Amino acid sequence: MSRNPSSSQTKNTVYIAVFAAMIAAMGLLPPITLGIIPVPITLQTLGVMLAGALLGPWRGAMSSLVVVVLAIAGLPLLSGGRGGLGVLLGPTGGYLLGWVFGSLVIGALFKYWVLRRTGNTARFLAGLASVVIGGIGVIYLCGVPWTSVVTGLDLGTSLLGSAAFLPGDLFKAVVTTLVALTVHRSYRGLMS
Amino acid sequence: MIAAANTSYLARIRPGWKFGALLILSIALYLISSWSVLLALFIISIAILLSARVDLRQLRLPLISMAIILSVVFVLLGIQTDWLNALRAVLRLLTMCLLAYAVSLTTKFEDMLELFQQVASPLRLVGGNPAQIALALSMTIRFIPELKKVYVEVREAQHARGLGNNPLAVTVPLVIRSLKIAEETAEALDARGYDSAPSPRQH
Repeated sequence: MSRNPSSSQTKNTVYIAVFAAMIAAMGLLPPITLGIIPVPITLQTLGVMLAGALLGPWRGAMSSLVVVVLAIAGLPLLSGGRGGLGVLLGPTGGYLLGWVFGSLVIGALFKYWVLRRTGNTARFLAGLASVVIGGIGVIYLCGVPWTSVVTGLDLGTSLLGSAAFLPGDLFKAVVTTLVALTVHRSYRGLMS
Repeated sequence: MIAAANTSYLARIRPGWKFGALLILSIALYLISSWSVLLALFIISIAILLSARVDLRQLRLPLISMAIILSVVFVLLGIQTDWLNALRAVLRLLTMCLLAYAVSLTTKFEDMLELFQQVASPLRLVGGNPAQIALALSMTIRFIPELKKVYVEVREAQHARGLGNNPLAVTVPLVIRSLKIAEETAEALDARGYDSAPSPRQH
């Protein structure tokens, strides 16, 4: 498919757009409720994690960035129909920016580490570690200090507040890893 | 959060100016520590929002979620530090968000995107391609309804199998169909010779 650079560039753009639309679609539908976790789970951050794990660092980060840019420009794409400049400036704006870096890190770890592992268990563990580092670690690393700067709460309280979302996020990390490894098995060369 | 035919004085100001003003004000708000000045600014921001004749119904949901977060912040800060400090933080955030919504609700979506593209245009110098950025943004908007439809279909199909709440059973088909849509679209664009690269294409 990529006989010349311009065609592969357009192909990359299409993948970025389709995955950005998928992240948006995941935020538009009512969340899934599970028995084990009290808070309903929106699949939107699942989409952010998947974009990195499936498309690799650059295209994954671009997909997240497109969603963030469209939401800030005013489309009600974020879960609960939120959008507009107020979302960025509010207490949770850091998590939104964290999406971009989160999918970047997940993508890089998947491309250069996870997909080079052999053996199912090793791959799963490496994948889970990558998604936890990028999808939870990096996103919280952007979100928690942001909340603390914007509201004046200290870092500990801000971190404690985000802990309510940790069970849901860990669950999403497991789902992302399983989905990404399943899809990579049938779509080889998705990142090349 | 889109300006629905707003014709107020704020809608006539160029988006770049509104953005710049919002940015400067947001920083300034953190430098002000007097609660009475902050209260005055808060009242001014309400006045701006009302005088811009924005559609207040659009603000109901964001304001409710804002109120929930801010009441938690207020109580926590009040307990940890003092209540005057909590009041300052909440006033700052409210003022900033009301002004941000005033900008959002008086700026057309197309104008906002155009501004973002202007801001992103220096990326050309480091190898970015503005045409591809514009293509990605507009293509995403076009794909959202389609992907939403696919998502609803997948969830309904899995619901019929009793798997509606199983994230794996929902996500795998959604991702596979997204990849198919991307492949087909890329092939269709290729077949029509769509070329956004600046250099001439050789065959």
